[in-house]
Amino acid sequence: MTDRRRLLGMAVPFIAVVGSMIAGLLLIALSGKDVPDAIEAFMDGAVGSAFAIGASINRAVALSLVGLGFILAFRANLTNVGGEGQIAVGGIAATALGLWPPIASLPLGLAVIIPLLGGTVAGAFWGGIAGFMKVRFGTNEVISTLLLGFVALLAVYWCVQSTALLRQPQTSSATLPESLPIGDAAKLPSLTGNSESPLHIGLVICLLLAVATAIVLQRSTFGLRLRAIGLNELAARRAGMPGGILLVVALAMAGAFGGLAGAIMLQGEQYYLKTGFSSGYGFDGLVVGLLSRGSTVGVLAGALFFGFLRSGGISMEIMAQVPAALTLVIQGLIVIAVAGSVIVVEKLQGAR
Amino acid sequence: MSADPLLSLKNLGKRFGSLQALEGVSLDVRLGSVQCLLGENGAGKSTLCNLIFGVYEPSQGDMTFDGAAWAPESPAVALEKGIAMVHQHFSLVPRMTVVENLMLGQVKGVLKRHEFGARIRDIAESFGFTLDPDSVVNELSVGERQRAEIVKCLMRDPKLLVLDEPTAVLPPGEIGALLDICRRVADSGRAVILVTHKLAEIAKVADRVAVLRTGRLVADESMAEADMGALVHAMVGRELRPLDVALAESDEDVAAPEAPRGFALVCDGLTVHDRHGAVRLDNFTLEIRPGEIVGLAGVEGNGQSELGMVLAGLLRPTEGHFYIGGSDLTHAGAAAVTAAGGGIVPEDRHAVACVTAMSVAENMFLNKLDRFTRFGLLQRSALSAAAEKQMKAFDVRAAGPEVAFSGLSGGNQQKAVLARELTLDPLVALVAAQPTRGLDVSAVEAVYRQIRAAARRGVGVLLISSELDELLAVADRVAVLYRGRLVGERPAEMSERGAIGALMSGQIVSGQVA
Repeated sequence: MTDRRRLLGMAVPFIAVVGSMIAGLLLIALSGKDVPDAIEAFMDGAVGSAFAIGASINRAVALSLVGLGFILAFRANLTNVGGEGQIAVGGIAATALGLWPPIASLPLGLAVIIPLLGGTVAGAFWGGIAGFMKVRFGTNEVISTLLLGFVALLAVYWCVQSTALLRQPQTSSATLPESLPIGDAAKLPSLTGNSESPLHIGLVICLLLAVATAIVLQRSTFGLRLRAIGLNELAARRAGMPGGILLVVALAMAGAFGGLAGAIMLQGEQYYLKTGFSSGYGFDGLVVGLLSRGSTVGVLAGALFFGFLRSGGISMEIMAQVPAALTLVIQGLIVIAVAGSVIVVEKLQGAR
Repeated sequence: MSADPLLSLKNLGKRFGSLQALEGVSLDVRLGSVQCLLGENGAGKSTLCNLIFGVYEPSQGDMTFDGAAWAPESPAVALEKGIAMVHQHFSLVPRMTVVENLMLGQVKGVLKRHEFGARIRDIAESFGFTLDPDSVVNELSVGERQRAEIVKCLMRDPKLLVLDEPTAVLPPGEIGALLDICRRVADSGRAVILVTHKLAEIAKVADRVAVLRTGRLVADESMAEADMGALVHAMVGRELRPLDVALAESDEDVAAPEAPRGFALVCDGLTVHDRHGAVRLDNFTLEIRPGEIVGLAGVEGNGQSELGMVLAGLLRPTEGHFYIGGSDLTHAGAAAVTAAGGGIVPEDRHAVACVTAMSVAENMFLNKLDRFTRFGLLQRSALSAAAEKQMKAFDVRAAGPEVAFSGLSGGNQQKAVLARELTLDPLVALVAAQPTRGLDVSAVEAVYRQIRAAARRGVGVLLISSELDELLAVADRVAVLYRGRLVGERPAEMSERGAIGALMSGQIVSGQVA
């Protein structure tokens, strides 16, 4: 019976995902594009080469980090929807520190580590603001993190538009509103040593943090306190827990993960700051966190899935001319299918 | 008033699963009269109202209304046939005006605000109060919102108006005005049922008073003949139960507490204003010696909850201070209260005392988790072992320390909370608020045995309860809280029962007329 349950628990989401993918292919066919072409482009972009696989995993790293931060805060019943902005401020901080000559010349990998930490701290600060507003003024964190996200996106815009900030020196009217690329010393080292693959040590950082998150959530007293405050704030405060501080710390931690994701995206692949730098990873990471239902393994699995999906989608767009909007529609279908299948599984199991 | 009653209940009963909420209630309500319905929380008052209003269907018995058998299928039917009810929780849309709110559900098609507003004003005036139809609801005081609800009912021209605990939400100053409205509604040839657990206010307005206790009607008399002391007794009184015998056992074998070394708990002029500025606790001063059990009696809603929250470190008083073992904890917060040796058994177990979705072990050590933490990690096996030991010592019955707290019976939950608070080290004072509410007799006995044992060890105990008999059995002296003020203090003896009852009902208020 338990075997049947487990089978059911895996089969239903699998069927749901396959079903939604088929529906996606139908949509592609309806749009008049060649389906086999689209599939080929998708596979090419997702797993077709060492480069494709590396790029997909790098995407998954950023998504996992945002997702891990999300489930940490969610343990305290806080919904952090500000991943996008936290990535952005992380990216700004990492760029600023990475471009600063005294840091770029530091030995022992400090030139890499300091911008990473800077991005993390900036993200933590951004999340912490929302936590402070919640504790002090009762502002709902869904609203404050979302709106702070817009502020951060516009801050990126300001940074790359103003030469007094991070914009590269303007030599002609054609100079793009972007920062200078960070120096080689500040770039994340490659994981494979193979110049074909963009895979960098962000993956290792991410896996270590995933283990740490799992320990904090399941084994630590801090994790238990987050849970208590999320379930019953008044009782937790009566038991002497510093309610306000815990809430601020929880959101700051979520922000720190977002900020680190931003720093890793910048130092690992993009190398220079430009408008739209966070490109939706914050929101995809939020979806990953939501679908994981609080499990670290769930976050990693979801992030991998979305990482490959995104790579394949981009390739489909470029190679098979499938409209970008359509890949988003397919992605949305899959999210609904996965989320819905959880409910279906619960109903089926409950019925027995 | 000799004509047939407007509403007549015969042998009415209501059962929810295994709980007999109401049993054998027979009552007549006549036109032109105010019928008060008195009883403690959980006595069945709301159930009775909901039967009359068609929310529930009775399990036994019959009702007649306006000369015909009465079995409304829903509140909408009841409303149509002439029964309107003002619920404890208002159903007004806060950001709309009074007139917009009152038009909801009553008007179809074109809205005629002015006409409708004029009607509202007329109705309010004919019952002796004013109500501005164009004011926005969330800018109104609680009393004004309530008057809007009453007008909403009166627009339907009901024969019977039911008000469920209308005074519970009101600051003292607005209660008189509400009672006047009730009187006028009755005088206009309707009947009013007024539900309350505050005794003093019924004397002003009731024609008849009925008392419910644990689902049964224990008194039904005309106000002219009613005796306040007897009503208190009917409302909170209990027959002699095994509990009282157990509690009356002598404990002479234990040495008397050592000479007082200062006070365990001192409340000095504690005053609490609520958000609307109404006084909930008024200059509350009380000193408790080590080893002493002081009972705080009072009908619920007279400031007990606020006092409990202040002493738990969860509510900052507007004025005054409190000290445990000599240290001022007024603004120190819950953790400091625990550290200073203040054990707290909160009134609302589920909201304040425990996290029901977490395990028994986690709940029993919720305030002592640091003890089981090494390098930030929780030592689960040590926690479980400690919890198991304490469950045995305090007779907490559960399948194990890892089961969810929500799976325990109320009595076992309360014993677990007591265990947590009584094992504080040091333990200087214990504040237990309504610690036996909803417990069965054996659990009640266990709770009081633990509390008395703590007092014998030299802990000063403040026992807040609306169960007068239990206070008399357990406490050394009984102080009485009425409308947030300490109105008197008597020795805890059965012969003082009447005097304490009179204080609880607000008949004697030192320095102030009730």
